[in-house]
Amino acid sequence: MASAAQRRIKSISYAKYGYMFIAPFFLVYCFFQIWPLIYTFILSFKGNQANNAAFVGMENYSTILFGKGSSAGAAATHAEFAKALGNTFILWFGNFIPQILLSLLLAVWFTDAKVKLPGKGFFKIVMYMPNIITAASVAALYVNLFGDSKNYFINATLLNMHLVSEPIKFVTDPVNSKIMVMFIQTWLWFGNTMIMLMSGIMGISPSLFEAADIDGANSTQQFFKITLPLLQPIMVYTLVTSMIGGLQMFDLPYLFHNGANFSKELETVAVYIYYNFNKGTVEQASYGYAGAASIIIFAITAVLGSITFYMNRDKDAIAKKKQRKKAEKQMKAKMKQGGLTI
Amino acid sequence: MSKLTRTLALLATLAMASSAFVACGGGSESSSSTPAANNSSSAAPADNGGDASDAGDAGDASDAGDAGDAGDAGDTSDAGDAGDAGDAGSSSAAVNLPDDDDTLTIVCWTDADLANMFDQYSGAGTPVYQNCGSNGTEASTQYATYLNSGDDVDLFVAEAGWILNYINDDSMSAPLSDLGFTADDYKDAYQYTVEIGTDNNGVLKAASWQAAAGGYAYNTTLAEQYLGVTSPEDMQAKIGSWDDFAATAEELKTASEGKVTMAATIGGLWQAFSTAKNAAWVDGTTIKTDVAKEFTDMVKGYVDNGYVNPSIEQWTTDWTNAGLNGETLGYFYSTWCLGEGAQLEQNGGSDGNWNIVVGPQEFFWGGSWLCVSPNCNSATPAADFVRQFTVDAATMEEYALYSGDFVNNKVAMDKIVADKSNSNPLLGGQDQFAVLSEVASGIKMSDSITKYDQNLKDTFLTTLKENISEDTDTIINKFTEQAKADNPDLT
Amino acid sequence: MSMKEQYGQQKDSYHSKIMAKSIAIFVVCVILTLICLVPIYILIVNSTHAHMDLAQNPSRFFFGKSLGANIKTLMNDLPADAGKAAKRVAQQYSSAFSLGRGYLNSLIIAGFSTLLTVFFSAMTAYGLTVYDFKLSGAAYTFIIGVMMIPVQVSSAGFVRFMYSLHLINSFIPLIVPAIAAPAVIFFMVSYMKSSFPLEIVEASRIDGCGEFRTFITIAIPMMKPAIAVQAIFAFVSNWNNYYTQNMILKNADYATVPIMVSKVLAFDKNIDNGVNYLCITLSIIPIVVVYFILSKFIIAGVALGGVKE
Repeated sequence: MASAAQRRIKSISYAKYGYMFIAPFFLVYCFFQIWPLIYTFILSFKGNQANNAAFVGMENYSTILFGKGSSAGAAATHAEFAKALGNTFILWFGNFIPQILLSLLLAVWFTDAKVKLPGKGFFKIVMYMPNIITAASVAALYVNLFGDSKNYFINATLLNMHLVSEPIKFVTDPVNSKIMVMFIQTWLWFGNTMIMLMSGIMGISPSLFEAADIDGANSTQQFFKITLPLLQPIMVYTLVTSMIGGLQMFDLPYLFHNGANFSKELETVAVYIYYNFNKGTVEQASYGYAGAASIIIFAITAVLGSITFYMNRDKDAIAKKKQRKKAEKQMKAKMKQGGLTI
Repeated sequence: MSKLTRTLALLATLAMASSAFVACGGGSESSSSTPAANNSSSAAPADNGGDASDAGDAGDASDAGDAGDAGDAGDTSDAGDAGDAGDAGSSSAAVNLPDDDDTLTIVCWTDADLANMFDQYSGAGTPVYQNCGSNGTEASTQYATYLNSGDDVDLFVAEAGWILNYINDDSMSAPLSDLGFTADDYKDAYQYTVEIGTDNNGVLKAASWQAAAGGYAYNTTLAEQYLGVTSPEDMQAKIGSWDDFAATAEELKTASEGKVTMAATIGGLWQAFSTAKNAAWVDGTTIKTDVAKEFTDMVKGYVDNGYVNPSIEQWTTDWTNAGLNGETLGYFYSTWCLGEGAQLEQNGGSDGNWNIVVGPQEFFWGGSWLCVSPNCNSATPAADFVRQFTVDAATMEEYALYSGDFVNNKVAMDKIVADKSNSNPLLGGQDQFAVLSEVASGIKMSDSITKYDQNLKDTFLTTLKENISEDTDTIINKFTEQAKADNPDLT
Repeated sequence: MSMKEQYGQQKDSYHSKIMAKSIAIFVVCVILTLICLVPIYILIVNSTHAHMDLAQNPSRFFFGKSLGANIKTLMNDLPADAGKAAKRVAQQYSSAFSLGRGYLNSLIIAGFSTLLTVFFSAMTAYGLTVYDFKLSGAAYTFIIGVMMIPVQVSSAGFVRFMYSLHLINSFIPLIVPAIAAPAVIFFMVSYMKSSFPLEIVEASRIDGCGEFRTFITIAIPMMKPAIAVQAIFAFVSNWNNYYTQNMILKNADYATVPIMVSKVLAFDKNIDNGVNYLCITLSIIPIVVVYFILSKFIIAGVALGGVKE
């Protein structure tokens, strides 16, 4: 019954079009990502500063990871990198936890049909707003408002109102500055997370909540028994994206400082990498350390990534396995029946 | 269709990439044979593998268009070759760089200074500045990328703290002799500026337009109110040594009930304390901390006694407001802070009730050098500019009077002091040049400058301020550890 | 107490409970809204004060009178009798922060990147879902695998490589790589799998339509919702991409808005706090205004992203 045209189409191989459609991606990706990555990998085996052209093997890694290397500052280099790695995780953790809790709470409230909330749309819009502002501007804004002395808005106001007797060091104090970055990061992202979670909650069938209502479950029970379990995939997604974002946190920690240099107390791995390869001339820069730190972060990402990948794939596989078992059971049952009938 | 064009574009880019590699491999043998177009965008060096030495061919490319001296121009930018460098140093006053662009582009971060200079400039071409970085430290990290980007750059401004990184790299800087200047042109300059502008091979590569002597400027109203001081001479007598300085600080603290500090920042104290010691941060590859230790001991006492506020950072709003709001008696200033519109005025000096004295120790602060880019393509304007602000006594004198900057020419400065032609309204008519000309001739910086200075100074001051309550050894130890982590070359 | 009364009371207490909860939530929302808006308000207020006023009292809650003067300083348009200090400040700020140029550069970079990202990602996603070829599975796995790699990982090599290609101070390294956006492709593939019928391709082939034409005239219009969502995200993230821009663009003529803000933040001489605030204000306000105009659409887009991914 097939027409001539259909027959002709069937006989053409379309595979080559597939390759042509995906070729630009792969060409560009290899050129601008893979080769720089390999280049970084090569740099990680080369020396630093005046020694930049020499091949030094694994020394940058041993210096950064264990403080064992020929450089006199090996131990300090290791300490700095370890601190940067620690800061990265502290800053990420310290913004992710409040952010997800706040967003979850707001998402549940905003999707609760029983709550009468005027201006819901306005709240959503305002709360998402910080997310679109450039992080560099946000850092500049907060540095200028929260400066360390009485010459800046917040401290001046606090002092005027006699709430404090000494200015609070929001920018240079090791603990305060971290809290500030966590706060700003939360400020930037809670609206985004909230809207994602809201769309997740709205995706849950309302009949589930209705049934729970009829059964007399209160809203806390509904939250823990229905909302939270069904939100799990989207929560995992938020976790993963936030983790990747956390690993590359740069703008805020780099720009949140007073004076000419970034604050070592806020140094994240991304700042560490940037600082080491961006010190000026080739003989000033530490390309080796920057390269090694990059590859270490790559390895960490790869591990974290494959864990989530594995978890996601596993679920599918488990589901399929279950289905297969079920089918086998049915088969067996049928055969039994059949056997009986026979 | 659009995909095809994109693919073609990509292939072209790939081809470009591979040609870049080939160019590097070719090295400097190809020097004068390339009939390259001489516009600056095609002339950027192909520094690929990280060897500073292979950047030599960049100079060639830019010079090749200038048929007359294509050959030897290549030589001068051939990195690491002592023989060539020697040649360049002793070469005659012939201009070796192309001269086919009317726009003189000066890369800097000090645009406010350059705008002053442009007001005075009377040579060929149109000078424009190109800011690269908002402060000296940032500029030191950004220049390297900018200078080889292929964008127009004829001259660039560098600072004492990091100039050595640039003048010792021939892919970044060309000898001044390429613009026709010889060491003889700088016989009237303050000697230290010439020594710093000379690279490891003895080639003169940078010339400074200023001699950055420094002094202690103080608020005369406050000085009279709390210390009863009425003349600069009396003030100098009260702070002529560090012991006197501390004693006066104590007197001031008592008289003002702790409201006014003697010095604004630790950074300022450091500059006044350290520079006259003429001690290098690094000897060979070893970090030297003697001066830092001495200073730490002293400044810890100052902080404990309230002579200085450790949380004020140099060059910030806090620093400015300390003067505006009368919280500090004075600042340690370099000459370039004293001109009309500069820091002195911004920090509360507009009423003219400030005076300047030498202070506890003769010191100097900063200074800006003009360096020539190997990609310079406006030789005549560049040479005119360098001549007008670093060689010619008459024009430099004019500039000194116009801007208040202490120019790098003894003849010009001596003349101004002798003629009494300068009176600074911000200093109540005082002539800062008369006070500081002695200091300027005494500056010795050449033995003490290393390419690590900016980084080590920043690291030291940050460590000191963050750990001011620790004991001296802990602070010095933390500093050296951090310094070694930042500079794997050092021990 | 009659049954009816009791029921009524219960109903009342139920209602008052809901009411109380609603009020509590409303209060929390108002507080959060204030936390989001007050910093912006203070920023705008401060940009209307002169440096000297802010030096005397930085705690300002109401608008000042110096907005015009600050704008003039930023545009280096001072009266002829202005002092040298004012001229220096104006000189410095106007050369570091030129609003028109910054917005133009940012628009060029973010605009072209966005176009390339959505077009080529749609194209790659189309190639992966419509055609059945040997390596399609491997290619898709690769894209998912590299989706998580942070840019910092390859940045050292990237900068050195661009340096050797003379692509410093050029928009190419900021625009062309946008062609390869694995996360966007992932999103578009899942979108196409759920809402793009393959029969339509078959039908257009029968009509004699070429493969690229089918993609452009049929697939792209059908993928509009996904493209719109990803275009918003791509635009915002490219606009805000300070890290890469700062590594590549060293020439002030090419500076983008985030770079200009960071430059203003890094000044160590001739600082004028009023103008400082004005610069930050100018870097934020246009974006916020555009956001409020498009907000309904953007929020819906974010929600769609949440459902799909």
